Amino acid sequence: MNSLPQSLLALSARLLESDEREAVLGDLAEVGHGAWRSAGEVLGLVMRRQVLLWTGWRPWLAALGVALPGTLLLMGASLSISCTYERLTRGQMFGACAPTGHEGPLLLACHIALLLIWAWTSGFVVGAVSRATLWVSVAVCLSPCLYCLSKFHESSVSAACLYLFLPPAILGARQGLRMIRIRPGVALAVAGLATALMVCAWGNGALFSLNWALIFPAWFIALLAWSPANGERA
Amino acid sequence: MLGEFEYLLITAAAGLGDGAYGVSIREEIEKTTGRTCSLGALYTTIERLEKKGLLKTWMGDATAERGGRAKRLVRVTAKGVQEAKTFYEAVMRISRRAAWVTD
Repeated sequence: MNSLPQSLLALSARLLESDEREAVLGDLAEVGHGAWRSAGEVLGLVMRRQVLLWTGWRPWLAALGVALPGTLLLMGASLSISCTYERLTRGQMFGACAPTGHEGPLLLACHIALLLIWAWTSGFVVGAVSRATLWVSVAVCLSPCLYCLSKFHESSVSAACLYLFLPPAILGARQGLRMIRIRPGVALAVAGLATALMVCAWGNGALFSLNWALIFPAWFIALLAWSPANGERA
Repeated sequence: MLGEFEYLLITAAAGLGDGAYGVSIREEIEKTTGRTCSLGALYTTIERLEKKGLLKTWMGDATAERGGRAKRLVRVTAKGVQEAKTFYEAVMRISRRAAWVTD
C-alpha cells in the first residue's frame, strides 16, 4: 500500500462500515480492477453514503441546528466570562462586553456553570445525533472559530478566551459518540439545573436573549433519554 | 412499487440463488442490460432494499481469490419476490398495446 491510488483506496475504504469495507474490498480484489478504478469505485460509494445521510434530519440538526449557532453563542459566552473575570480580578473594563458590566462573583460562577453545561450538552448532541457526519459538524464549528480568531483585536484579553467552551464541548462530543444512553433522571436534572441557572442569570440581566437557544441541547438530551427509541444510533 | 434498478437487482439476485453477492449480481446486471453498474449504486441499493425487507444479507466466509476477504451474500425475501412480481406484471400490462409489442 504505497502508491497514491492504493493509499487513496485504503483511506476511502476506512470511511465505510467494517462489514461493507470487507465486502467491497473483496469484490474489488476478485474482479482485479486497477488501483485508480478501485479507488474511484470506493470513493463513489462513500460519496453516495454521505449524500444519503443528508436525506435525514439528524445531520442537519447536528451541523446547522446545534454546531453552528452553538459555536457562535458559546464563543460570545466564553468571551463574556473572560471579560467579567478580568474586571473582577484586575478591574479592567470592556466596552464590548457591556452586558457583563455589573456581574459579581456569584453571577460569574453561574455563567461558568452554564457555559460548561451548554458546551457539554451541545457537544453531546452533535456527537450522538449524527455520528457519521461528525466531520461536517466539526468543520461547521471550526469555520466561525477561525473567522473570529482572524478578526479578534482585543489586546487586554487573550484570543484563547473565545474558546473556553471547546474542552467541555469536545468532551461532550466524545461521550456522545461512545454512549447514547444517559439515565433519564440525570438528563432531566441537568436540563432542570441549566434552566434554573438561566432564569437566575436572566432575572439579574446577565444573559443575552439569544443564549436561551443554548438550552435546547440539554432538553433534547432529556427528551432522548425518556424516549423509547433511546439507544438508536445514526 | 420498485424502481427499475431495484427490480433488476432483485431479479438478478433471485436468478443467482445461493451464488448472489456483490460481484455476481453486478456482472449479471451488466451482462443483461449492457449498462455499467457502479459499486456505489449496487451497495446503496442493496442496503435500501434490505431496510425495506425485500432482501436479506449476511457475511460469508473469506476466500483466497478475494484477498482473504468475505462476501456479502444476498437472498431475496418472500416480500421481495412479491414486489418484483408486482413490478413485472405492471410492466407487462402497460406494455400490452405498445407498438414494439404488438408489432
